[in-house]
Amino acid sequence: MKIRTFLQFVSPSVGLMLLLLAIPMATTFYLSVRNCTFDMEVVKVEQTTPFGKTESLTQRAKVDASGRAVQVCGFVGLDYYRKVLGLAAGDAEDTPAASAPADASGAAGSTVAPSSRASNEFLGALSFTMIYTFVTLPFVVIFGLLIALAVNSTTQRLRSVFISASLLPFIITPVVAALSIKWLFRDNGLVPHLLSQADIQVYWMAQAWSARLLVIVYGIWHTLPFAFIVFYAGLQSVPQDSLEAATIDGATRWQRLRYVTLPHLLPLIVFVTLIHLMDSYRVFEPVIVLTQGAFTTSVQYLTYFILLQEHNPYKASAAAVLTLIGILILLIPLLVKTWREQKGGV
Amino acid sequence: MNRRPLSLTLLIYGGLAVWLVLASLPIVWTAIISFRQYVDAFSAPIKWVAPFTFENYTRLWIDKEFYRNFLNTAFVTVFTVTISLTVGCLAGYGLSRYRGSLGFWLLLVALVFRAIPHSSLLPSFFTIFDALGIRNSYFTLIFVLVAINQPFTIWMLRSFFVNIPSELDEAALVDGCTRFQAFRRVIIPVMWPGVVTTGLFSFLLAYNDFLLSSALTNADKMTMPAAIANSISAESEALLMQGVAGAVSITIPLIILIVLFQKQIVGGLTQGAVKG
Repeated sequence: MKIRTFLQFVSPSVGLMLLLLAIPMATTFYLSVRNCTFDMEVVKVEQTTPFGKTESLTQRAKVDASGRAVQVCGFVGLDYYRKVLGLAAGDAEDTPAASAPADASGAAGSTVAPSSRASNEFLGALSFTMIYTFVTLPFVVIFGLLIALAVNSTTQRLRSVFISASLLPFIITPVVAALSIKWLFRDNGLVPHLLSQADIQVYWMAQAWSARLLVIVYGIWHTLPFAFIVFYAGLQSVPQDSLEAATIDGATRWQRLRYVTLPHLLPLIVFVTLIHLMDSYRVFEPVIVLTQGAFTTSVQYLTYFILLQEHNPYKASAAAVLTLIGILILLIPLLVKTWREQKGGV
Repeated sequence: MNRRPLSLTLLIYGGLAVWLVLASLPIVWTAIISFRQYVDAFSAPIKWVAPFTFENYTRLWIDKEFYRNFLNTAFVTVFTVTISLTVGCLAGYGLSRYRGSLGFWLLLVALVFRAIPHSSLLPSFFTIFDALGIRNSYFTLIFVLVAINQPFTIWMLRSFFVNIPSELDEAALVDGCTRFQAFRRVIIPVMWPGVVTTGLFSFLLAYNDFLLSSALTNADKMTMPAAIANSISAESEALLMQGVAGAVSITIPLIILIVLFQKQIVGGLTQGAVKG
C-alpha cells in the first residue's frame, strides 16, 4: 500500500484522536500552569432603611457589558503543582472563579466533600492506587490460574457454564458492580448478617481500613474473570505431545504443571500483569461508590473531585498532568514489549 | 493420562462451586432485594423470603422517567458503536496493509492513548467545550466516546484484517479496482466476525461508561449508569431501592449479551493476548 492511500485510510481515525485526545492532553498541560480569577472591585453600598441610611463596603466581581463576570487569567507557573503535592502552605482559599456553572457537579454532586483533606492530595491518591494495584495483582494472577486449571479439567459442557458465569463480573457496568457490593456489605445487608452469626461486627463503610478492603475486594472480583479467560485460552494450546512425553517419562502431575504448562503460559501471565497494572491505575468507580472519597482516593478520582467539587480546572489540570506522567512511567515495560514483538514480527 | 485421585477432583469441584457463588452473589442478591420493600431488603436479621413487589421498578421507570435514561443510553451507544466501527475499519484496514514504519508508530501512540486515565482529559474538555458551548450535548459525548474507543478499536480490527489474506484484495487491484473499491467489495463481505467482536467491546465501553457521561451531561441527557449515581449516597429509603432496581435494569441487557455472544467475547478477550 502506498503511503498516500494509507494516510487516506487512517485520517478519520487519526483526526478524531488528535482532536479529542492529543489536543486535550496538550491543553491540560497549558491549563495546569495558569489560573483565572474574577476581577474584584470594592463598592460602597447605600441602604435606606426606615431607621436611616447605612453605608457599607462590599466586594463584588466586575461585569462587562453583557453582564458576564470579567476574568483575569495569567501564568502562575507551578503553583498548582505545589498545592496538589502539598508543598504550598495555606491551600484553603484557592477556589478560583472558574466559569464552571453550578450545575456542573451533576451526578457527582452526591459526593461527600471531606472537610479536611490531607495536604499532599496527590501522594495520598497515588499511594492508595499503588496499594490497590499490588494487593490485587497476586490474587488476580494466582486465582485466575487456579480457576483456569480447574475449569480445564472439567467436562466440556460444564466449561461453558463456568465461562458464562465468570463473564458477568467482568463486563458488568463498574458503577453497578461497586453499588451491588456496597449493598451486600451495607448495615443490615447480607454479609454483615452472615458475619454476625460468627460474632463479627464490622461497619464496613464507616472506617478507612474496611472501606479500602472493599475497594480491593471489588478489584479482585472484577478482574479475576479476565485473567481466568486469558489463561484458559492459553491452556487450550498447551502442546499435548510434550505433556504425554512428560507423562511417559514419569513426571508427576505437579511436575507436568511446573515444567510444561506454566512455561507455556508465562507470556500470558506477563500480558495479564501488564494490562492489570495499566487498568488498576485508572481505578475510579469503586472509590467513588464505596468510600465517596472520605477514606481514600485514587489518582483518577482526585482529578474528578477537584474539577467537579472544587470547580477548579487549573488545579485539576495539575493533578491530571501528574497522573499522565505516572501512566507514562507505568507504560514503559508494555511499550518495550510491543516494540520488540512488532520489530521481530514484521 | 493417569487417573485423577478422588481428593483432587473434590477439591476442583469444591473450589469452582465457591467461585461460582462468589462471582454471582453480588448480582443475584441485588436482583433478589430489588423485588422487595426497603424494610425487607435491609433487615436484621436478614430475610431469606419476603413479599414480592414490583414497586421499585414502577417508581423508577415511570415516576422517575428512567426510560429517558434508557433511550439516552440506546442513542449514545448505537451512534458510538457505528461511528467507531466505520472509522476504525478504515484505519484498521490501512494499518494491516501498509508496510512502512509510520503504521508502527501510530499503533504505539494508540497504545499510550488507550492507557490514559479518562479523568485527566476532563479539565480541558470542560474548558474547551464550555468555550464552544457544546458541553451538554449528545454528540459531544458520542464523539468523545468514539475517540476514547479508537485506540482499542484500531488495534483489534487491525489484528483481524491481518488474518485476511492480502492476495484477496490484491487480486481485486489487479482487476482494476481502486484501493477503496477493493476494501468495499472484497474485504467488507469477509470481515464480519472481526467487526462483530470489536463492536461488542465498543458497545461495552460506551454502555458501561460512568465517568465521562456523568461529567459531560446534565440530568436530562444522562445515560443509565450516570443516572443511578445519585443512589451512591442515597439517604432516603425509596431512592435507595430505586437505585437497586436501576442496577438490575442496567445489568439485564448485559446478561442477554453474554448469552448471545459468549464465544465472540471470549474470542475478543484472548485475541489481544494471543497475538500481542
